[in-house]
Amino acid sequence: MKDFEALKDIWRNQVEHSEIRPEDVLKKVKQSKKLLANKLLLEVIAVVTAIVILSYAWIILSFTMWTSHVAIGIFILCCIYVMFKQFSDYRKITDNALLLNRPKEYITYLKSYKQDRYILNTQKYRTYSILFSMGFILFFVEILFIAELWVTVLAILFTLFWFYYCYFVLMKNYIRKEENRLDDMITNLERVEKQFSDEKLV
Amino acid sequence: MDKEALFKEIFRANSKKIYHLCYGYTGDNDSANDLMQETFMKVWQNLDKFRNQALISTWIYRIAVNTCLSYLRVEKRQAKDELTDNIIENRSEEVSEKNDHIAQLYKCIAQLEENERIIITMVLDEIPYSEIAEISGISEGNLRVKIHRIKTKLTELYNKYERF
Repeated sequence: MKDFEALKDIWRNQVEHSEIRPEDVLKKVKQSKKLLANKLLLEVIAVVTAIVILSYAWIILSFTMWTSHVAIGIFILCCIYVMFKQFSDYRKITDNALLLNRPKEYITYLKSYKQDRYILNTQKYRTYSILFSMGFILFFVEILFIAELWVTVLAILFTLFWFYYCYFVLMKNYIRKEENRLDDMITNLERVEKQFSDEKLV
Repeated sequence: MDKEALFKEIFRANSKKIYHLCYGYTGDNDSANDLMQETFMKVWQNLDKFRNQALISTWIYRIAVNTCLSYLRVEKRQAKDELTDNIIENRSEEVSEKNDHIAQLYKCIAQLEENERIIITMVLDEIPYSEIAEISGISEGNLRVKIHRIKTKLTELYNKYERF
C-alpha cells in the first residue's frame, strides 16, 4: 500500500522522455507560418482566377439578356463570399489571446467555434448551392434563346442531375457525418466545462 | 535579451513541468511531445504579451491547459478506457522497476477526469495552490476540496493495480 507521498516520490524520480528542444519549436513555428501563408495564397489565387475568368466572360460574351448579367454577378459574389469566410475563419483560429482565458471560458469559445464551423460547412454551403443554382437557371434563359432546344434541355438536365447528386447524396452524407462529429465534440466539451465549474463542492 | 534567447530560457525553465502536464493529460509520450511543442509554439507567438509579467509560469500553464483541452478527441477517450483492462499487460518487460512505477502512475492519472489530470500533475510538480487556482479558474477553497478527492482517488487507483 502506498500513500500520496509515496506517489510524489515516484513522480520526483521520473526520467524525462521529451525529445523536444527549443530549436525544434522555432523551426516548427517558421514551417507552420509558411504553410498557412501558402495555403492562403493558393486560395486567394484560385478565387481571383475564378473572378477574372467570370469577369472576362462577362465582357467578351456580350450577353443580350439581363438574366445572364445577374447570373454572372451571383457567381462573382459567391466567390468573394467564400474567400471572405475563409479569411475570417483563419483570423479566428490564430486569435491567440483566447488561449489566455480561463479553461471554462476557453471551452465555451471552443464550443461556439465548432458550432460556427458546422454552420459554415452545412447551412452556408446550402445557401451557396441555392445561389449557384439560381445563377445557372438565370444563365440558361439566354442559352435557351441562342442554342438549339436539345442542347439547352441537355445542359439543364445535366445541371439538375449534378445539383441533385451534390445536394442529396454528397451533401446529406457530409452533413450526417459532421453532425455526428459535432455531437461527440460538444458532448465532450460540455462534460469538461462542468468539471471546471466553480460551484460550491459538497 | 533578444526574443529568441528569452524564449530558450523560458523553455528550459518550464518545459519539464509542461511535458508532465501534457503526458498526464494524454497518457502517451508521442501526444505529450506534440502538445508540448504546440504549447511552446503558442508561447513564442505570445511572447510580447508576456514581457514584464511576474508569474510567467502561470501564463504558460494556462496556454498548456487550454491546448490540452482543445486536444479532446473521441479516440483518446477510447484509448483511456482500454487502459483499464490492459494496464498490466501493456507494461514493457525491459523497463526498470523505477520506470515501471512511473509508467503505472501515468496510466492511473490517465484514468482520472480531464480537470483532475491537469490539477494532479500540477500538485505532483509542487505548484502552489494559489497558482493552480489561478490557472484552472477555480477558487482556492474549492480547489483544496478537489485536490483532496483527487489524491484519494489516485492513491486508490495506484494501489488497486499494484496488487495485481
